[in-house]
Amino acid sequence: MNLNPNFLAAPVALPLIFAALMLSISRWGRYSSLRLQQWLTGIALSGNLIVALLLLAYTLTGKRLVLQMGAWPAPYGITVLADTLSALMLTIGSILALCILPFAVATLDLHRERLGFYPLMLILMMGVNGVLLAGDLFNIYVFIEVLLMASFVLMTLGGTPSQINGGIRYVILNLLASMLLLTAAGVAYGSLGTLNLAQMAQRMDLAPDSIRWVLAGLMFIAFGSKAAIFPLFFWLPASYHTPHPAVTALFGGLLTKVGVYTLFRIFPLLYPTLLVTWRPMFFVIAGLTMTIGVLGAFAQPTIRRLLSFHIISQVGYMIMGLGLATADSRFGAGFALAAAILFMVHNMLVKTALMMGGGAVELEMGSGNLSAIGGLARRYPWLATIFFIAAFSLAGIPPSSGFGGKLSLLQVTFDTHHFTIAGVSIFVSLLTTMSMIRIWQYSFWGKYPGSRATAPPLENSRRRRMILAPMTVLVALSLLMGIFFGPSLRLASVAARQALDRDGYIQAVAPQKLVAQPEQTAAR
Amino acid sequence: MTELYLRLLDRVLTPVLLVLAIYLMLRGHNQPGGGFIAALMAATAFQLQIMSRGSDVVRKAIGRYVQPGIGVGLLLAVGSACVGLLSNNFFRGMWGPSFYLGSLDVKISTPLFFDAGVFFTVLGFSVSYLLGLSEAAPEFFEEEPGPAPAPSQQDGGAA
Repeated sequence: MNLNPNFLAAPVALPLIFAALMLSISRWGRYSSLRLQQWLTGIALSGNLIVALLLLAYTLTGKRLVLQMGAWPAPYGITVLADTLSALMLTIGSILALCILPFAVATLDLHRERLGFYPLMLILMMGVNGVLLAGDLFNIYVFIEVLLMASFVLMTLGGTPSQINGGIRYVILNLLASMLLLTAAGVAYGSLGTLNLAQMAQRMDLAPDSIRWVLAGLMFIAFGSKAAIFPLFFWLPASYHTPHPAVTALFGGLLTKVGVYTLFRIFPLLYPTLLVTWRPMFFVIAGLTMTIGVLGAFAQPTIRRLLSFHIISQVGYMIMGLGLATADSRFGAGFALAAAILFMVHNMLVKTALMMGGGAVELEMGSGNLSAIGGLARRYPWLATIFFIAAFSLAGIPPSSGFGGKLSLLQVTFDTHHFTIAGVSIFVSLLTTMSMIRIWQYSFWGKYPGSRATAPPLENSRRRRMILAPMTVLVALSLLMGIFFGPSLRLASVAARQALDRDGYIQAVAPQKLVAQPEQTAAR
Repeated sequence: MTELYLRLLDRVLTPVLLVLAIYLMLRGHNQPGGGFIAALMAATAFQLQIMSRGSDVVRKAIGRYVQPGIGVGLLLAVGSACVGLLSNNFFRGMWGPSFYLGSLDVKISTPLFFDAGVFFTVLGFSVSYLLGLSEAAPEFFEEEPGPAPAPSQQDGGAA
């Protein structure tokens, strides 16, 4: 199978074209051509999914697809690159967006729709796709900004006071992280003379330790804050419960994982030795992220706040996998990273399903407060069932995908004798189970206290289907992943091997053009 | 807040600013200038209109073209990038004939269309921003508030 490299432009160009089209027609008709906008979004996201699947099929053979924008050669032009890791993330991202679309159509109020939810959603997807495909540090920064801009607006869409309150914290903390990332790009350009990831990887080996540590630290803080790791996660629980549930579902599954993806991309490529040297730090941060996330969840009174703390807790497992990425276990090189990637995929699916479920409950009852809801299991048994499966997949009960992911991560920790972090992660899994039982018990058992919502979305059968069908798809995908865990793990290990293969990456970007300049870097 | 001297001034200044904006955009191919700066220049012309005639007049005249303008600009920019696909490379520049407009060397090319896209996007964004600011202003600076904002339509679901 051969793919034209220009294909790589599609994940960025397609959402942008459709978003621009929607903006152009956004003043048509009494309802701002909303029905048309919904269909256009659906078409754009389906196209995105098809492109992502094609890229995945191509890269699973072990190849990388590289596009040099405008035919400018590698260190000078913009490099766009897809390997299995990015194609996998692209696919899952498109699936998530495609599942959230019917949910949004069913639950959004006319006011928010007319303010431009659909174009913004596509712009957000464009930013996410851009980060996943970018082959240089500056474009990673640019596309993170694009997705942040879209997310700022989505976060405050509707303009209620609590949204503005949450939005301000979200904006300030994310802008701080972006500034650090820009600083890192500046330092990298000043010291290495390049921002192309492949060339940076070549020159990083020759750079003095001080520069490598500063760069790695800056990038870890910047991307880690996007990923909501331990000391930098405060923006997430302060803001994720404020916007409309459809927005929270979109953010919860996608945005932090983009941060984790960049860590998975940058660290094995640029700092393979630091992955070993800094392993204790990764473990401390991973352990604290897990523990504080799950303990924070216990203190929360509302569903979406509780679930947003679980996002943080789960990111800890991925950071643990990153710390183990280069560990030599008897399962072969890259097994830990493969497990971490698979865990991330599982988490994106399940988290989105849970956020949609929690959002549906909140909209249905008119309140997300755990003490004001209950008795939904009898009224909506199917919602209760899929929420149950998703919750226990998050906790890691077999045969769900969460079980496989956690098990394979634990196997590596035991094999490499990191018993403390293994113990912490098992303990956190138990707490997660307890927390999930708590949320399920409060919202689905007990007495039905009566809904305070003006228009409960689940009472209308058409809207109920549009909410429950995508959740079912996501949960079914997660279950399939758990049942066919062997094949999924093989798929993820292709991604992990490619992510760890630095020479292959450099070769793919520019076979002969890149020449390391030792005298230049040594002089600094 | 419509001032007499501003209304006199804007008769003179608005065409000058708009011509200057177009000049800056065409100049931007090889010299300082370009779509972004030109759009900001053009936005000052609209701001002058807002100050001299009031935001209601301006909104009535161009308000419904602002958001579509952003969309059209983005479409122009992406479209000019896609033209490169004809030579099998996304974002590849393509150059057509060129001619002289006064002393300006104008090249009909994809970068020009890209710049035009940037122009419309930035112009649409800036004007909507300026309109929004000028409407928020009376509530902050004057004792009597402007017309109450329309109540948001919360009918709770997709129509």
